[in-house]
Amino acid sequence: MTLPQLVLAVAEADVRTLLQTLVVGLSTGSAFALVGISFVLIFRTTGIINFAQGAFAVMGGLFTVGLVDDLPTWLAATIAVVVVGLIGAVFGFIAMGFRGRTTSLASLIITLGIALLVSSLELLAFGDRPHNYPGISESSWTVWDVVINPQYALVAGVTILAALLLTLLLRKTIVGNALVACADQVRAAELVGINVRSVTMIAFAVSAALSALGWVLLTPVTSVNYDSDVAIAVNGFAAAAFGGLVSIRLAYLGGLLLGIAEQLVVVYGDRVTDQARQYELAAALIVILLLIGWRSRHEVEPA
Amino acid sequence: MEVDDLVVQYGPAVAVDGVSLELAAGERVALIGPNGAGKSSLLNALCGLVKPAAGSVRIDGRNVTGQSPGAIVRLGVTQVPEGRQVFPTLPVEANLLLGAYGRDFRREPVSATIRYVRRRGQIQQRLDRVYTLLPALRELRNRPAGQTSGGEQQMVAIGRALMAEPRLLAIDELSLGLAPVVVQALSEFLLKLNADEGVAILLVEQNALLAFELCERAYVLEAGRIALEGTSAELGENERVHAAYLGGLEVEA
Repeated sequence: MTLPQLVLAVAEADVRTLLQTLVVGLSTGSAFALVGISFVLIFRTTGIINFAQGAFAVMGGLFTVGLVDDLPTWLAATIAVVVVGLIGAVFGFIAMGFRGRTTSLASLIITLGIALLVSSLELLAFGDRPHNYPGISESSWTVWDVVINPQYALVAGVTILAALLLTLLLRKTIVGNALVACADQVRAAELVGINVRSVTMIAFAVSAALSALGWVLLTPVTSVNYDSDVAIAVNGFAAAAFGGLVSIRLAYLGGLLLGIAEQLVVVYGDRVTDQARQYELAAALIVILLLIGWRSRHEVEPA
Repeated sequence: MEVDDLVVQYGPAVAVDGVSLELAAGERVALIGPNGAGKSSLLNALCGLVKPAAGSVRIDGRNVTGQSPGAIVRLGVTQVPEGRQVFPTLPVEANLLLGAYGRDFRREPVSATIRYVRRRGQIQQRLDRVYTLLPALRELRNRPAGQTSGGEQQMVAIGRALMAEPRLLAIDELSLGLAPVVVQALSEFLLKLNADEGVAILLVEQNALLAFELCERAYVLEAGRIALEGTSAELGENERVHAAYLGGLEVEA
């Protein structure tokens, strides 16, 4: 596949296919965005890059699958998100290690270790085949001949709501301010009496719940497997990197761009080579890398 | 506050080597000495930021050695850290409110937040009081603290500490990096605070002249030990102090 061929393929495509691609890309991108925002939240409050973020997402999807046969879908999904949030808090406690003696690099290794452990446990509990569950609706809407699965709309809507709520939480509430304070000046936060470890656990809990939320909502339209976590973590990290690991808004945007780029590769790449799917992630990462290069000429404001 | 034979070590390096000092309610005491004498280490040990290797710290006769910074804050000792360390991305007012929130913290944030919300009215009154004491902060309340001048940031840091209603304010390097006229204003403010509100002051300072002007008594810390102590007037007359800290200002720094 050469670049001119790809451009030609894109140019040939009709608008409808493009719109369809955008719809799908936006919804997977939204889930990436949630994972990206989670990376930002933990990195800002603790300086830790949490590579178990993908594991939180997978746990959310798999727990919902496990519960959905016995409970109404909304309840199963809510329980999954809350439980993953609690697991996230415990996880944060472990990842922080010993006060003053565990470096953030050591914490990063701990997160990798736990991510491996989690995916092994998931393999034992759920087996190695992909899972999914029925979404909110069997039927789809059709707008201008573009098929929109309501689940896509749900993922995109919930994501933007979650991102806005999180921004509001950080800016307007005292707990959110305390989270920002730990991120800004951890010693000063300790000196005013804030228990940094417990605030960190909140950051982990919220991050875990957000990541889980994205994948709980996306599972019906894709599927989730015990080893999906690596790809999710890579995508989420790329989205966060787009925001310099500190900006929630840019991480959100980065997630959307990634989702769209990957769908474009899948849909139009197929016309050039039948192995396009294999290059989905690689191509999207190249796009985000170029965008980060372009963006890094400007200073990123933490938000 | 009484400190008895305190030792602070970082690995094999001894930063504070058996220091004893005391501070009465409402007193103004300075701790001077060259860079690396252990002033900040001593202060951080008093405030619970580092655990002392030996010795004890007592507040109102109660042994608080090795307790968390939060526990010390609740007993009425709050530190204004070196280099101010405001929360730069948060507005000035949020910086101040976090001073009150931190005081409500014990272990976890849920009960801290409940206590904070219950005390809301009281905290608002305290905030008004701090704005009355430091009127410049009221003007700056919505500005991110990182976008204010050095002197204003020092006011934010002091205001934030005052929100915890301390009986002792431990200030690490009041004058560092600030213009003399700003330092003058801050030191007048601290004298007034001490006189009107009875807040005791422990000032760690390299600028001995300022320390003697502001405080009644002083300790001179050298190589982790108290080399001299006395009233500001006595120390100001002392030849060694004069040579090392006043005449050839910061010769050892």
